[in-house]
Amino acid sequence: MFDPTTLLNASAFMGAALAIGFGAIGAALGEGYTAGIANEALSNKPESSGDVIKNMLVGQAISESAAIFSLVVAIVLLFSRPSTVVTITSWAAIGAGLSMGLSAIGSGVGSGMPAGTACMGIVRQPGNSSKIITTMLIGSAVCQTPAIFGMVIAFLLLFIDFSHVPLYPGWAAMLGAGLATGLAAIGSGVGNGFTSGEAVSGIARQPETTTETTRVMLIGLSVGQSTAIYGFLVSLLLLFYGFEENTNLSSSMRLLGAGLSSGFGGIGPGIGLGLASAYAVRWVARRREEVGNLVRTMLVGMAVTESTAIYALIVSLLLIVVF
Amino acid sequence: MEISGPDFIKGMAFLGAGIAMGLGAIGPGVGEGFAAGKACEAIGKNPNEAGLLTRTMLVGQAVSESTGIYSLVVALLLLFVV
Amino acid sequence: MEDITKIPQITLNLFGLNVVLNTETIIMTWIVMASLILFAYLATRRISFSPNPFQVVAELIVNAFYGLTKDALDEEMARKYFPLICSLFMFLLLSNWLGIIPILHEPTKDLNTPLGLGIMGFFIAHYSGIKAKGFKKYAKEYCEPIFVMMPLNIIGELAKVISISFRLFGNIMGGAIIILVVSHLVYSLVLPPFMICFFGLFIGTIQAFVFTMLTLVYISVQVK
Repeated sequence: MFDPTTLLNASAFMGAALAIGFGAIGAALGEGYTAGIANEALSNKPESSGDVIKNMLVGQAISESAAIFSLVVAIVLLFSRPSTVVTITSWAAIGAGLSMGLSAIGSGVGSGMPAGTACMGIVRQPGNSSKIITTMLIGSAVCQTPAIFGMVIAFLLLFIDFSHVPLYPGWAAMLGAGLATGLAAIGSGVGNGFTSGEAVSGIARQPETTTETTRVMLIGLSVGQSTAIYGFLVSLLLLFYGFEENTNLSSSMRLLGAGLSSGFGGIGPGIGLGLASAYAVRWVARRREEVGNLVRTMLVGMAVTESTAIYALIVSLLLIVVF
Repeated sequence: MEISGPDFIKGMAFLGAGIAMGLGAIGPGVGEGFAAGKACEAIGKNPNEAGLLTRTMLVGQAVSESTGIYSLVVALLLLFVV
Repeated sequence: MEDITKIPQITLNLFGLNVVLNTETIIMTWIVMASLILFAYLATRRISFSPNPFQVVAELIVNAFYGLTKDALDEEMARKYFPLICSLFMFLLLSNWLGIIPILHEPTKDLNTPLGLGIMGFFIAHYSGIKAKGFKKYAKEYCEPIFVMMPLNIIGELAKVISISFRLFGNIMGGAIIILVVSHLVYSLVLPPFMICFFGLFIGTIQAFVFTMLTLVYISVQVK
């Protein structure tokens, strides 16, 4: 139809648009939420405006980092061209844009929640500020991990030479890889946000429980990222599994289906895992002596919640490996 | 891509299996997670009843799982049977 | 920039099998091992009540992790598993920090290192579980709460290994990639040191801690 270089330019521009377009959503939502809660906190106690605004800006900066990753990917897509250009490189460019853009949505929203609750906590208990801010920073930073997974897939798609991969079904593999990590990271990011938000407000109320609450928060955050990791795994498989040339529609559609299955399948369980660990963290802060019981229940509940994500992973693996 | 009749059907079946399981996993995920969270809250309020509360949580999650299982069945039907 | 993902390897032919060694990862792991052994020697050379700096740091780490281990397991089991947990944390911490030094690379950037540690944690947890509870009770736990959940529970256990390994790998490799790409874009002015601090030190520490804590939690879930 068109020669490979024209196609690459066209799709790279489209990929850059998708990357920054989707990527801007999450960070804006999260930062807006932070600003809103900060305002509510200030309405209770206007004299602490200096501290609250400083904290709000720091929290918003961490939320922004996901959007900055998207901007970096978009700029690389706009200006950098690989040395060997074949038609499949265009599909890789679109996949990269989707991967980075979609995954930044969840992390942006998620990192905004602990920042908001931190502002509220600083106003209510100004004596515990340092602990509140530390926990907020740790929680927000770990919330960025799903966006980091999306960025790794985007860079792999941009910088690896895929000229040895056949165009059919390779095009669907590139697109599917971008969708799998991108979509799955949305749920994990938002879920992690719930957990960190509750951890920060729990520590604001009961600072003597900081060690246990932080520990359970980190466990909850990490297990909550499992769905993003399954999407990451499926993306890596789609990129590096050697597919043979096959011009049938079904062969391409199965790879696209695999990407969509793990991608969408990570959204719901990600949010659910976040809800489970959020409530667990809230009650660890209130009743530190029940930590063992709460962590066990949380892990059991999270294991069952993850089951639909595992079904989606199995369907993806079936589509990639068996068919 | 050359597209023939049966090949088109198979292609759409694969795509459909992916979409079915993918979208079908969203609901049970959020619902079961919320149930697990509320169970942790209940145990925090009343740790002596941990056994009863965990059992109730698992029963509720199993019911919530049912639509996820329907999606899995349809996906497997699309993959293996149709 | 296109050789981000190229891994230096050598292929040997031993006893008729092709053995592939990732030379850079192995050398970096040896550097980490040598540094840890040197640190341990310097810290314990003359244990006294007015300690040298190495002993202070060592006591800090040992106390913190012994407290965490005792919280998760009981006293005598904590004594048994504590050296594993503490060395795991120290190894991961130094590995993740190694990337800050200019010529060196993190050994955890290669998927083999986190995956190896994850599989090791998996076998230790399940072996301890079987030893503590006996094989029948261990096998029965897979059938909870309903018998049909068994395949799902088994897959869930395998998924745990994948999730902790890939989490560590994704974070460290992602950090390395973004530092490389952004440094290339801004011609290595001003911005890179801040990113190296954030990705290398901060996220490296958190991920080392998370990996260790999750291994400890998995062991304690199996053993109790």
